[in-house]
Amino acid sequence: MDSSILTILTFLPILGVILIWLTGKENHSMIKIIAWAVTFIDFVLSLYIYFNFDAAESGFQFVYNVPWISHFGIQYAVGIDGISLWLVILTTFLGWLAVWSSWTAVKDRLKGYMVSLLILQTGMLGVFVSMDLFLFYVFWEVMLIPMYFLIGIWGGPRKIYATIKFVLFTMLGSLLMLVAILFIYFKSGGTTFSILELTRFCVTLPVSTQMWLFAAFGLAFAIKVPMFPFHTWLPDAHVQAPTAGSVILAGVLLKMGTYGFLRFCIPMFPQAFEQFIPAISVLAVIGIIYGALVAMVQKDVKSLVAFSSVSHMGFIMLGLTALNMQGMQGSILQMLNHGISTGALFMIVGMIYERRHTRMIAEFGGVFKSMPIWSTFFIIVALSSIGLPFTNGFVGEFLILTGTFGVAPVYAILGATGVILAACYMLWMIKRVLFGELTKDENKNLTDLKLFEKLVLVPFIIMIFWIGIYPSTFLNPMKTSVEKLIGDVTKYVKHTDIENEAEAFIPYNPHEPQTEEHADVRH
Amino acid sequence: MQVELIHFLCLAAILFGIGLYGVLTRRNAIGILMCVELMFNAVNINFISFAKFITPDKIIGQVFAVFVIVIAAAEATVGLAIVILIYRNFKDVFIDKMNIMKW
Amino acid sequence: MNLRFDIMIPELFLFGWAIVVLTADLFFIKEKKNALLYMSQFGFLAAAALVIFTPTGPNEVGFGYMFYNDTFASFFKIVILLAGFMAVSSSFEAVQKSIEHKGEFFGLVIMSAVGMMFLVSSTELVSLYVALELSTIPLFILTAFQKRYLKSSEAGLKYLILGALSSALLLYGMSFMYGMTGTTVLLAGSITMLLNSANVHYGLVLSLVLVVAGLGFKLALVPFHMWAPDVYEGAPTPITSYLSVASKAAGLAALTRIVYGFYTVGTAAEYWGILIAILAALAMIIGNFAALLQSNIKRMLAYSSIAQAGYILVGFVAASQLGLSGISIYIFAYLFANMGAFAIVVAVDHKLNSDRIEDYAGMARRSPLIAVCMTIFLLSLAGIPPTAGFIAKYKVFMAAIENGTLFWLVMIAVATTVVSIFYYARVIKEMFITEREVESSESKWILSSPITIAILVGLIGTLIIGIYPEPFLELASTVTQSFVY
Repeated sequence: MDSSILTILTFLPILGVILIWLTGKENHSMIKIIAWAVTFIDFVLSLYIYFNFDAAESGFQFVYNVPWISHFGIQYAVGIDGISLWLVILTTFLGWLAVWSSWTAVKDRLKGYMVSLLILQTGMLGVFVSMDLFLFYVFWEVMLIPMYFLIGIWGGPRKIYATIKFVLFTMLGSLLMLVAILFIYFKSGGTTFSILELTRFCVTLPVSTQMWLFAAFGLAFAIKVPMFPFHTWLPDAHVQAPTAGSVILAGVLLKMGTYGFLRFCIPMFPQAFEQFIPAISVLAVIGIIYGALVAMVQKDVKSLVAFSSVSHMGFIMLGLTALNMQGMQGSILQMLNHGISTGALFMIVGMIYERRHTRMIAEFGGVFKSMPIWSTFFIIVALSSIGLPFTNGFVGEFLILTGTFGVAPVYAILGATGVILAACYMLWMIKRVLFGELTKDENKNLTDLKLFEKLVLVPFIIMIFWIGIYPSTFLNPMKTSVEKLIGDVTKYVKHTDIENEAEAFIPYNPHEPQTEEHADVRH
Repeated sequence: MQVELIHFLCLAAILFGIGLYGVLTRRNAIGILMCVELMFNAVNINFISFAKFITPDKIIGQVFAVFVIVIAAAEATVGLAIVILIYRNFKDVFIDKMNIMKW
Repeated sequence: MNLRFDIMIPELFLFGWAIVVLTADLFFIKEKKNALLYMSQFGFLAAAALVIFTPTGPNEVGFGYMFYNDTFASFFKIVILLAGFMAVSSSFEAVQKSIEHKGEFFGLVIMSAVGMMFLVSSTELVSLYVALELSTIPLFILTAFQKRYLKSSEAGLKYLILGALSSALLLYGMSFMYGMTGTTVLLAGSITMLLNSANVHYGLVLSLVLVVAGLGFKLALVPFHMWAPDVYEGAPTPITSYLSVASKAAGLAALTRIVYGFYTVGTAAEYWGILIAILAALAMIIGNFAALLQSNIKRMLAYSSIAQAGYILVGFVAASQLGLSGISIYIFAYLFANMGAFAIVVAVDHKLNSDRIEDYAGMARRSPLIAVCMTIFLLSLAGIPPTAGFIAKYKVFMAAIENGTLFWLVMIAVATTVVSIFYYARVIKEMFITEREVESSESKWILSSPITIAILVGLIGTLIIGIYPEPFLELASTVTQSFVY
């Protein structure tokens, strides 16, 4: 069970696809029930992994390893560590709720819709559990196809522009990454694609080579994150995507970019990363402030949330550049937070859109009077997105800013303005949408949330407060893995500040002989 | 003056050039086919003169030339058949009429 | 003279079968002519089986180096026969609708396949040339086969003129090759060694430029590609598919036989490497960008196949074992995806009488399975996992990166791949996204069984190579290990 659970977890949605395929096209309730059940079981399985996860172990767990294309030394290798654990759970959590949230929203071509969501889920889970670069790349690309359809078929008025832009941006980045992957493969002797072995090899490369490889990998991930100059696909894709698509896109797909930095760019090319830290920090800070400023002037609620994503993802990147315990942990936690808060925001916006068929801020006003329950959910989630204490956003941003302040105070101070700006745009939007006079007739007759809509939102609220009040549940399992990552990286980074910083927080001794070189895979 | 290999090659090159020029400039489909035949014959001259001067004891060049002649005949047969078909359909054999498909 | 008839049994069988099909035409009444299609299908499959059982190896040389049956040859023979099988299968509707003289149609397809089979086995210039003509002359006729259809005759004439011109160029190059070495045998290094021992001089350059240009026409390499879109559009669609795969594969094999040796060893290497690299880059750039502008799906696939030839040449330029096996696997992946896509084009053409990409709108609603199959084929052509095209592109890129000096070419390949996704995605967009009123009469499509077989073969091939490529990669590497140059 332990070794095959990740495989079951990853490919369970495919089973759902087959079941749905066998169901009749018109049998909507059956299709929905299958999709719901499959994603729910997937979520439960991921919780099983969480409960059996050994937090003291820094390497990969639940490893399963069989040769796939032995001609090139490609393996089907999956495993999970403290970094990917939460992302896997986030994926199954959001996947389940995304299916649920589309219960009434999607009526047209439901079969294809659910099939796309389920294939997407397999792709996303595969990305997070792959321990083989080739396998990772395959999943990374496979994910594009269902997303193309989700935006393209069930999207808004400019869906075709948005979906093509999304696909082309992502493809450009990932093909460059493919070239870099192949380059590493040959440099390392052309025998393996194993991430662990290639990481061990890559750190020995000269810095100039590392810089190129970092750039190739980094571009793919920076587009996905998206970092500041590559973010232009994001608002289009978000605004045009259907609700569930936006939830998955913001909640999980963007995390793949940051996950890529954590799993590949930073441990594989530590010296190059050191060189790139200033550039990444500057772009991250620009992203934070730019995203927030642009969000402020949006007329559409959904594009406001989309630009707030750019800002929040900037925080995550900033936390990574700190290269210390708080920064890293904060980043990973913020990945979760962003997935939860922004996912919930998109769902809430989707719910009002279903009723009013518009998302323009100017069309609303005083909605609190007609939809008090919806409004309450909206306020809670918006506050968590701002980062109010006792909500999840606070913990993540606080950790990130503390971590960054220890290394580069200027960036931390600039980044902190992002929090203030977030309060401005979110609260202003809340004021214009929820409060004030109920002027429009359409808004007077809105029905409040149905039972299932409340049920969909409640898990989000639970998570928001859980992370906000007791984050240790989430920080503990990732701790050893993050420690190991920082330890491995700081070995190669000459930057003394960072080294001191790292030593101050983790019991790591760089002079200790690395005898456990091969012990990091637990079978 | 002794007639050397180079003279034959020059003759062949001139013939080939004339043929190529004709293929590129003529508008009549039959004219184009004739120019292609000219090119084939230039090739034959090449083969035979190489056979004579380079490998006088082997006949491989001549064999090649015979094959080329035979195949050129087959090609001309098919070519003329297609030209007749074109004439039936377009009532013309001038290739600038053949512009139904562009880009 | 070693007359080894035993190693050319598949060719002899297929040749005989072509005659049988031609003759059988006389014995069937008009309503029963479908039997000819089944006969040709059988012929292709039986010949493929014979190819598998025919001995291969360095000793299987016959007719004084004219015929050589190595694994490289038999691999390409299988590709050609499969392409022929799928083309014949997908011609069921087209034949019923617009082809008179069915016996000649199938007989010529088989005859052309015989020519291609000889071509990939030829290791001598005379037999290579004869085989090349045997494969192309039937294709001229097949292209112009729809006699009352103006586009078809126009395409036939264009193909004929450019085909003949390219033959002349090729022959002129071959004559210099013969003149400089005194031999026409390619095998056992005869020509290669002699040419490499000499320094690079004008004769060598001239002869190779002419040969590459001549074969470039056959392969539709840029800048010798101008005929391809017109011919692809005008020819009957099953013939287009056959042209785009089988004749490309055969031409590639011929190019490999003649040119490969020249730049893997010796002084000419650097010149040829760069020449072919530039051809590859041009093919990828022009093919992909021109495909963006097309509104006819056959023309779009024509430009896409021009671009695909560019990707194949990337593997060729890499000039290594890996590169050659990359070419083999690429051809294999391309075979399934392209033949499958064309089979669907035939089906759509039959139902809607249209090749326009706009008319694919609403396909996903009308017949979702066909739309999904088409999507998989297009994804494979674009090189997106988990399809065969991805593995193939992967391997070709791998070869180019291993080479070390070809980064610029890989970058062009990467950039143009992104461009290619744009136009493949456009077809997918039409099928799935664009809404269209569906008339009740065309609500359900029922395809004939032969064309369904063609689509299924393509689908299975594409997915199996994409998901479990191991045996095919093994096959591709054994194919190239035996390649002698």
